Amino acid sequence: MTAIIEGSVIEVRGLTKRFGTVTAVDDATFTVEENTIYGLLGRNGAGKTTLMQLLTGQDFATSGDIRVFGQSPVENAAVLQHVSFIKESQRYPEDFRAKHVLKSAPWFFENWDADFAAQLVDDFRLPLNRRIKKMSRGQVSAIGVIVGLASRARLTFFDEPYLGLDAVARQTFYDRLLADYAEHPRTVVLSTHLIDEVSNLLEHVLVIDEGRIIIDQDAESLRGSATTLVGTASAVDGFVGAREVLHRDAIGGLASVTVLGLTAQERTDAAAAGLELAPVSLQQLVIHRTNTSEKEFEVSA
Amino acid sequence: MDESRPLFVQLAEQIENDIISGVMAEETQVPSINEFAAFYRINPATALKGVTMLVDEGALYKKRGIGMFVAEGAQARLTTKRRDKFSTEFVTPLLTEAAKIGITSEQLADMIRKAAKA
Amino acid sequence: MNRITSVVRLHLTNPWTTIILPWMIMGFILIANIAIWAIILGAAAPEDRADIREGLGYSGSTTYFFVYIMVLAVQAISVTFPFALGYGVTRRDYYLGTALTFVGLSAMFSVGLTILSVIEEATGGWGLGGRMFTTFYYGDNWLQRLFIFFVTFLFFFFVGTSAASIWVRWRANGLIAYFVGLAVIVVGGAALLTLTGTWPAFGAFFVNAGLVGSFAWSLVITAVAAVGGFLVLRRATPKSS
Repeated sequence: MTAIIEGSVIEVRGLTKRFGTVTAVDDATFTVEENTIYGLLGRNGAGKTTLMQLLTGQDFATSGDIRVFGQSPVENAAVLQHVSFIKESQRYPEDFRAKHVLKSAPWFFENWDADFAAQLVDDFRLPLNRRIKKMSRGQVSAIGVIVGLASRARLTFFDEPYLGLDAVARQTFYDRLLADYAEHPRTVVLSTHLIDEVSNLLEHVLVIDEGRIIIDQDAESLRGSATTLVGTASAVDGFVGAREVLHRDAIGGLASVTVLGLTAQERTDAAAAGLELAPVSLQQLVIHRTNTSEKEFEVSA
Repeated sequence: MDESRPLFVQLAEQIENDIISGVMAEETQVPSINEFAAFYRINPATALKGVTMLVDEGALYKKRGIGMFVAEGAQARLTTKRRDKFSTEFVTPLLTEAAKIGITSEQLADMIRKAAKA
Repeated sequence: MNRITSVVRLHLTNPWTTIILPWMIMGFILIANIAIWAIILGAAAPEDRADIREGLGYSGSTTYFFVYIMVLAVQAISVTFPFALGYGVTRRDYYLGTALTFVGLSAMFSVGLTILSVIEEATGGWGLGGRMFTTFYYGDNWLQRLFIFFVTFLFFFFVGTSAASIWVRWRANGLIAYFVGLAVIVVGGAALLTLTGTWPAFGAFFVNAGLVGSFAWSLVITAVAAVGGFLVLRRATPKSS
């Protein structure tokens, strides 16, 4: 077995994936650093799932280069044995019950923690003996979440893992993820459209839109990077000047614009000019940057 | 946690508040990075950043292999720092808002006195 | 190797589909046959019974079982392939593990059927002169039957595997193309034999090969199906529907 080299967990250069005339991933270049929680954000159909399928060797790139633990993931057991990929649409063998999944998972994940899995089964009230086919959408999602957490793979992908889970169960997922990650650091890529819910969990954010990586930034710096200014249209426009405007709304004589990167002095100036300053959440920022309607991100699990 | 300021700054302020109010006494151990992360539901890296900020300021110090402790004199130092910032953070915005709706400084002072008595 | 055996265990995690249900089906076929034989014999006049017993010697009902095995192979692969890839298994390890499972199941089923054939002989056809497991085309003795059962199971498992691989990679369109292709080959081959007048030679080939030899030749098709299935699955991607 080949040794796994240290350094970036994932390195992607010029990655493109086409399905016929559709370009699902378009010349993506980025790295994923070890022991970090990444958010892979974007609207439905932006290319999140395709990107993760490529990173896990489940799909084949049209062009470009992917290194996971320094090697190509395609058909590479040395890489893939450290990878856990939990999909929203994960299919389970027809006749399986939850207990069969939990029984077989340790054969594939060397770091599997059975006690942790058992605790999670309690947390999510998962019926072990029910056939998966007869389970609710949320229960099926819970199985995936449990496998993803208890496998403790060095690289774990969660692709919209909580379809059908209610708010309480989702919070349980976030809490367990955070606590277990703190004790057993590993690299986690969380793909979701419920950005507000996970915003504080993330250390780094990748935003994908129409197959292109449009934001690749530290979550902390991204969070404070945009501000919405509200005031009379003339005051707003006077202040904004030639700045790049992410978003603009107007009602009557009032205007609301979202701009990037205000310095402390500029904030004081804006306030002095009679403008209201409001912070922009990560979710709003992504919405503005991907030209999406709010609605699309509120279609909750 | 609000959205306007970085999370690690907010965490640092929370800990400062607890030191100023005496909830976290000097020379006592404070929760670990992971405990802060779990309690405030934030990424441990963010929690580390907030705590590191306080270590750099001298409010907390590290005991190797044991954990993080509140430094001696931290309460007094933080209180002084807060007093210095009080004017810019609270008085200036108060005056700006008052001026916007036509309240003079004298009227404002009266209002403060009345509110303090009640 | 470890990952390959894990795939074998995955297939057997819930033995219901791969072991228990097939034996229940086999048992059901056997019981149904015995019941039919008993009814036929019971209804016949005593003097006709000898003739009827002669007719009972050619039950083809085991064929259903072999066809079921093909369905089993398709089912097992179509559901465990996307699942195993989520567990970080490579297609190669998945395929080898699956093939190993199918060879093992073929061995188990063929030993089981051979044991049933010995019982059938010992009980004079379940006391009724019926023959399911000892019909002439399964050979003259238990050893021949064991071999013929084994290669037949392999044949159906791996033809099923090739079809499943095509399903996993190209879905229904691929399967339609596959079966149309097979039909063209069979019909074309028959036409070729007719046009060239080589049917007698074709028949002579099997006569010369003998029963066991003819069955042995099926291993060529089995091997082609197995290798073809691997080549198809190697480039397959898990689909969500």
